[in-house]
Formats: sequence, C-alpha cells, structure tokens
Amino acid sequence: MDVKFAPIEGRSTGYLVATGLLALFALAGVYATWLMHVHGLQLSGMTNRVPWGLQISMAIFYIGLSAGSLVVSGLYGIFGQMQYKPFARIAAYLAMLFLIAGLLSILTDQGRIDRVFVKPFTYFNLESMFSINPGLYSGHIMICVLYLWALFKEKGTLTKIVSLVVCLWAIGTHTGTGAIFAFVPRELYNSSLLPPSFVAAALSSGAALMILVNVVLFKGTGRSLDDEIIVWLGRRLLAVFLLVTLYMLLIENVHRVYLVESREAGMFFLFGGFHSILFWFGLIGFGSIVPAILLYVRRTGTSIGWITFSASLVVVGVLCERFLIVIPGLIHPPDLFPGMEVTGTVLNEGVMHYSISFLEVLQTLGVLGIIGFAFMVGLKVMPLAPVEAKAKLEEPKKTSKILALIGGQASEPLST
Amino acid sequence: MDRRKFLEKSGVALAGTSGVLSLPLLTSCTASSQSADSPLSGRRWGMVIDLSRCSEDCTACMDACRSENNVAFHGDERWDIHWIRRVNISPKDSEHRDEKSVLLMCNHCDNPPCAQVCPVQATYKREDGIVVVDHHRCIGCRYCMIACPYNARFFNYLENPEWPNKDFPRRSHGVAESCTFCAHRLDEGLQPACVEACRNAGHGALIFGDLNDPNSEVSRMVAEEPVKRIREDWGTEPKVFYLGL
Repeated sequence: MDVKFAPIEGRSTGYLVATGLLALFALAGVYATWLMHVHGLQLSGMTNRVPWGLQISMAIFYIGLSAGSLVVSGLYGIFGQMQYKPFARIAAYLAMLFLIAGLLSILTDQGRIDRVFVKPFTYFNLESMFSINPGLYSGHIMICVLYLWALFKEKGTLTKIVSLVVCLWAIGTHTGTGAIFAFVPRELYNSSLLPPSFVAAALSSGAALMILVNVVLFKGTGRSLDDEIIVWLGRRLLAVFLLVTLYMLLIENVHRVYLVESREAGMFFLFGGFHSILFWFGLIGFGSIVPAILLYVRRTGTSIGWITFSASLVVVGVLCERFLIVIPGLIHPPDLFPGMEVTGTVLNEGVMHYSISFLEVLQTLGVLGIIGFAFMVGLKVMPLAPVEAKAKLEEPKKTSKILALIGGQASEPLST
Repeated sequence: MDRRKFLEKSGVALAGTSGVLSLPLLTSCTASSQSADSPLSGRRWGMVIDLSRCSEDCTACMDACRSENNVAFHGDERWDIHWIRRVNISPKDSEHRDEKSVLLMCNHCDNPPCAQVCPVQATYKREDGIVVVDHHRCIGCRYCMIACPYNARFFNYLENPEWPNKDFPRRSHGVAESCTFCAHRLDEGLQPACVEACRNAGHGALIFGDLNDPNSEVSRMVAEEPVKRIREDWGTEPKVFYLGL
C-alpha cells in the first residue's frame, strides 16, 4: 500500500480557533504553576496525608498513552503491518508529545521546580525509581525522534529495527512508571502485578487514542478513511488489550482480598468510598466491560460510531484507573498497629480525603494546551497525516501472523 | 534551508540534547559520605518510649520539639507539621476499651524507605544512624512521604510564619521534613529537645542514647526490657523502641 503523507493546510477557522484555545489553556496552566511556585502547593488540594494528587495521576495517564500509542505505531514497523502505516507517524509524534506531557505534569508538581533541572542529575540515586525513570523517559523521547525520522525517510530496515527498540523501550518505560508505585511499602501500592497491569492499561489507552485521533483527524480534514482500519484497531487491538487489563485487575483485587493481611485495604479499595464508584462504574463498567461488549458484538464492533464511542469510554476508564492507582493508596491509612483502632489527637489518623483544586485543573489544562498546540503545529508543518488511508493489504501472509499473535482470525484477510 | 532539512536538523539536535542530558545519569556521583574520623562514626542513636511513664494529657515533648525546630503550625490539619505526635490505640474486637496513648515520630530506620526513594539523595542516613533531609537539595517531589510506611514525613505546603528559635533554620515552602533526633543538639553534646522536656516535666518517659554503647540506659533497656518496635515485620529496622506497647 502506497500511503501519501502531507501536512494539513491549517487555514480553516476550526484549526485556528482550536489552536488559539489550546494556547490559552497553556497560558492558564503556566499562570497556575507560577502561583503555586510562589505561594506553595497549599494552592493544590493535596495535604500531608495525600501528598500526590491530580498532576501525578495525569502524568502516569499521559505516559501510558505515550507508551501505548508508540507500541501501536511500532507494530507497523516490526511486522510490516500496512494497515498501521497511515497513522504510524501520528502515533509516534503523539507518543513523544504525551511523554513530554507526563514530564511537564511531574515538573509542575514539584515543590522546588527551580532545583529540578540540576539536582536529579548531580545527585543521582540508583535505588530510586524517580531517578531511574528520567533515564527511561529521555531515552523514550530520543527514540521517538529517531523513529519519526526513519518513518519520514521511509527507511525500511532502519524502521524495522527502531520499531522493535521502540516497542521494548515503551514497555520498559511504562514498567518503570508502574514501579514508582509498586516498589514502595504501601498496602494498596505494593504489588508486583502493578507494572504489567500498568502496561496493559497503557496499551488499551494507546489503541483507543489512535482510534479517536484518526477518526477526528480524518473527518476534520475531509480526508478519506477506510473503515476497516478503525475496525481493525478496535476489534483486534483495543478489545484484546481490554480483556488483558480486566484479567490483571481481577487477579490483583482477588489477591488483596484473599490474603488476611491485606483484606481490609482490599475491601476499602473495592467498597470504601467515592473511589470505589470510580472503580466499579468508571473503570470496570463503562471503562472496560461496556466497550469490550460493544467491540466484540459484530454489529457495533464494525460501526465506526460505536468503535469511536468505545474508544472514548476506554480513555476515560484508563484515566479512572490511573487516579485509582494514586489516590486510594494514600487516603487509606497504614496499618501501624494490626488489630487496633487508631485515633489521632492532633491529626486525623484514619481515612483521608482529597479534592482537586481549581488551580490543579488549570495546570492540567495547561499541559494539555501545550501538547495540543504542538500537535496542531506539527500537523501543519510536518507530513504526519496521510492524504487518505485504505486498508488494502499487499501481504496477507504476514498479516495472518500478527492476527494469530493478537488473537484474531488467522487466515482471514481484511476486506478490500 | 528548506523545511525538510530544517526538520531533520532540529530532530538531530533534539536527540543530541536529550543524550547529553541523560549522560549525567550514567556518570553522576553517589551519596555524600562522612570521613572515617568523623565524630558521627561509631555511634548509633536510638530512643525508648516508656508508655507507662508517658502521660496522655502531656504535650511537653511536642511543644519543645516545635519551638526548638521551628516546626510549622498553621492551624490547618492539611498543612500542619508534627515531628512528634500522639495517637490513641485500642483493640478493635474488645468490649473493654484498653486504650493506650502512643507517641509517633520518625523511626530513623536502619533501612529507611524514604532515603531509598529520594531521587536527589536529599534524604539520607548519617553515619550515626539519624535520617535527615538536606533542605537545600530537596526538590519537593514528596516521594519520601509516599514511601514512609509510618506517615512520619511532612511537607512544607506554605511558608512558616513563626521562627521561635533563631539558632535553627526555618524551611522554605516546597521541601519535606521530619524529626532529626535534634541532630544539631546531639552534635553539641545535648539531648533531643523532647527528651529534655519530658524529663523536666517529671515523666522521664523518653530515654535516648547510643545503641552501640552497651553501658547506655537505652542499650540496657533494649537488651533487658520487653521493648517492641512498630511493624518490625516490615524490615525497616526502626530505632525507636516502645516499652508497654
């Protein structure tokens, strides 16, 4: 399949308004961060018992999107999957932007932003996941740039090699991000299953993001998009990733509740408050089961509208999942005295509360504004978007291999 | 320069910059360490809290700690800092409320998770076993607070308006902190402020000393009395022991 790429014109009112709005968001976020830098993180909703909040949740959400979309893009390079070629470039560019978004979110969350650019490099701590991850992240950005360059140059062998590195590195990056939580001694954090389930959810969100971006982009610019590509992404990738994520969530929670020592914390996670509503309805119900059903039922799973709807649900579901990784583990008190009721005299020692402040929302909008702006400009100045995308396959044999790998129908070529 | 060349060159420049930035990760130095003849070497400070002598209504240790170390109190539970605090504990399943009052503070663990996760080594264990924070290096990431299983670390969410002890620094907003066993007083040969205040209040519930000195009171109590540490099963090796817990 010969796919032609070209920059978008970027002169329509819609484009200019969207880009302008994103720039405004970015400015609002910079202002909110400056206020926090001057007056302290008291302006956030975080407290001494809940020291991480929205920014860290969003950071791991973005990093997940980045790793996920990069793997989806890398599938094209590794397996020569032509149906992925039309959006391989966009996926790689978005992967770079979302990684930057993750880093920006972490940056804006620091108490002393002025020290972040020097101290972590001069006092590197090999034992800290917070030290190891920046290495993974900067490598990730470098690889994204190299991969984009290989895609632009249409260098076949190089693309293949870089794609493999890209996929492995993306999985490593996200495993490392999961380890930030999994490797600390908190009841709802400490879990060796957390890094892989982190990766699984990342792949779900990455595939869902690809669907959304492509549908919006193609419809928005009036380009021709073959439905088969979206059906492929939805039924062959997203649906499989969803089931893997659900399986891991099931095991993790059953494990917690089964063991006596973590039962109380496990029950708190499942039925302990607002976060449980997010878990059952946001993540499990509407974020996983509903989209999985919609994708597996043939009638809805082959409709672009329903697939797009499912992808939106998955993105929101994974956002809930990220929030659920960070917050419940903090608001749940550590079991310092097993079998004892603990009441504080100067501090609340029980279950805590976290509410997001307005400035935190502005910071989040700011990060989205910055990368959204960069995305819009990128579309205009670089040949990222295909002129049209059709799912004609020239190499059905290779397709059957990947289909078999991800659980599809091995010998059935896609309709042309 | 046409657009294609410009993009190529900027891509190479970006990749190069990232590479240069990640170089220090590979070559950076390790933790600062004390020299062999440091006055800190050879000692291993620890504390025993005798709950039978600790009075539930007394706040002498907490007050002394706050004024000695300029510990911030804003009157808002979200941001107040407590290097030492009191909790009451009672059995969950018992009808008889056998309540105990327990002081909680940094345990100065021999295996401190807070120091393990600090990305800039601002939190570290001194040679004498005291876990301290270098407030000039801390970047305020709060990972140490996440990692501390005892909830003993606090963050300066806002500037501390009070500065009762001008001989000891205040902390700026944006850095983490916790009990230092009054390391600055120990270096001058004094006892921690809380220990002194408890003794002056007539309780003597806090016993402090060198765990490496077999003749110290604290070593004797740890060796002979039925002391316990909080969640010893976590493997953090706390150096705060409780008698009567």
